[in-house]
Amino acid sequence: MDLNRPFLSRLDRAGRAAEDTVLVVILTAMILLAASQIVMRNFLNIGLIWGDEMLRMLVLWIAVAGAIAASRSDKHINIAVLDRFLPDRLKLVVKILVHLFTAGICGVVSWYSAQFVMTSREFGDILMGSVPAWIPQLILPVGFGLICYRYVIFVLRELVRLVGSKPPK
Amino acid sequence: MIAIGPLLVILALLGAPLFAVIAASAMLGFTREGIDLQAIAIEFYGIAEMPILLAIPLFTFAGYLLSESGAPRRLVRLTQALLGWMPAGLAIVSLAACAFFTAFTGASGVTIIALGALLFPALQKAGYPEKFNLGLITSAGSLGLLFAPSLPLILYGIVAEISVEDLFLAGVFPGFLMLLMLSGYSVWKNRALRAPLSDSSWKEAAAAIREAAWEIPLPIVVLGGIYSGYFAISEAAAVTALYVLIVDVIILREIPIRNLPAVMRESMVLVGGILVILGMSLASTNYMIDAGVPQKLLEFVSQMVTSQLTFLLLLLAFLLVLGAILDIFSAIVLVVPLILPVAVQFGVHPVHLGIVFLATMQLGYITPPVGLNLFIASYRFERPIIELYLSTLPFFVILLISVIFIAFWPALSLILLS
Repeated sequence: MDLNRPFLSRLDRAGRAAEDTVLVVILTAMILLAASQIVMRNFLNIGLIWGDEMLRMLVLWIAVAGAIAASRSDKHINIAVLDRFLPDRLKLVVKILVHLFTAGICGVVSWYSAQFVMTSREFGDILMGSVPAWIPQLILPVGFGLICYRYVIFVLRELVRLVGSKPPK
Repeated sequence: MIAIGPLLVILALLGAPLFAVIAASAMLGFTREGIDLQAIAIEFYGIAEMPILLAIPLFTFAGYLLSESGAPRRLVRLTQALLGWMPAGLAIVSLAACAFFTAFTGASGVTIIALGALLFPALQKAGYPEKFNLGLITSAGSLGLLFAPSLPLILYGIVAEISVEDLFLAGVFPGFLMLLMLSGYSVWKNRALRAPLSDSSWKEAAAAIREAAWEIPLPIVVLGGIYSGYFAISEAAAVTALYVLIVDVIILREIPIRNLPAVMRESMVLVGGILVILGMSLASTNYMIDAGVPQKLLEFVSQMVTSQLTFLLLLLAFLLVLGAILDIFSAIVLVVPLILPVAVQFGVHPVHLGIVFLATMQLGYITPPVGLNLFIASYRFERPIIELYLSTLPFFVILLISVIFIAFWPALSLILLS
């Protein structure tokens, strides 16, 4: 996967910008909403009924959006104690397998999250007074789908490196 | 089928993201029990059903903002003005400042980067031996995670389903014990180094207090608000985030607005990393509890040990190994649900268990081969990792002794609880 190709690199850049925007918007909304809830409750003796529910949704959203952002540079929490003892070429092969595993798992999670969202849609759950619950829940299939996509790209990139690199003599 | 468990462990050790490994094991369990795999999404959605989780992104963001601002420098100046007159004063200043800062930034390694960069050169200049300085800064980088409102304390409360306020109280004396023992060692080790008394004056103290005037109210408002029951934890987090945002970006203008997205992003990468593991482990934990893993664990442990004393010894040994391979956040969400019922059977108070758990995991930050702080310090101070193993060793031993005190002296943790 050659990311220097104009289309792909533009897609990549657009993706990054979108991701950063989403993170900034969610976090800002979270801070402002949480703070205004406190002010309203303590000083005006009112509170937005949907406010607390919305905040909990925002936590779910920031969790998934943060996880997507972490996958951008493969910054997920891991243990990785064995790989440093491997020779370079084997390390690359192991990396491909590990990324493939991550992509596969995220793909499966995304698939079953989509099922979950459809089930929830059939049940017609409602959040915050008027919002169908399945809409905020969409973050699950979409988010894990995007993480899956990221790791597929990693697999392809490492495969190119593996094929391109010379085997040791 | 049986081979899959060890295969997952190997994948984890080869560097697969933990959340994926946990998700895989949960889904494997569901498949075995014939449960629809939608369960993984349903369990993960549990993240949206825990109001207190809101505290995690907000405190983390506030901590990252603080570390980007001039607050670390002001904090060092203030502690120096107040504590610098003591023998080995600067070493004690370093410990106190790091502990305070870590409590607010959540023990994610930012302490070493934000404060170490200031303290390490200062210690060098003041004539402390380099090996001592490296060890001190590296070990102090996780000191203070027993003090409110540190992230691991909050996460333990959430996972163990006990009051976070109680944990905040319980951490106070054990946290101070660690601080005191490390200070004692530093004084003894550097008893010859004493700053002239004239260096610390009332004038300097007043100036330092004036300079830190915006930060000083923060712990008072946050901790006062929590302990007086005026704020819930998540509300305190919201107040902290908004306050720090306004002070550092609008009033003091130390962080340009155009840098904000980067700080937000960086802090949320950590939050996403922690919460995605929490979400997946909600699924795997539920499966393991359904499958009776805690009972089996209890039976297994009961065969080996019978008294609380031997149980605690076994627990400490286990946590030391755990801390060496697993980061504190993953350890909390994965291990606490399994060992908590066992510990309660042996008469260990859940709050005391939390303090012992976190205190021991704190050692994990400086335990070779993979302690996080060792790597951060090695990277930050450009020293080989072996040098850090050696320089942190005395500090490791002292912290280990304090952990043993904390484990076998429950009253130290529980005395403040009503």
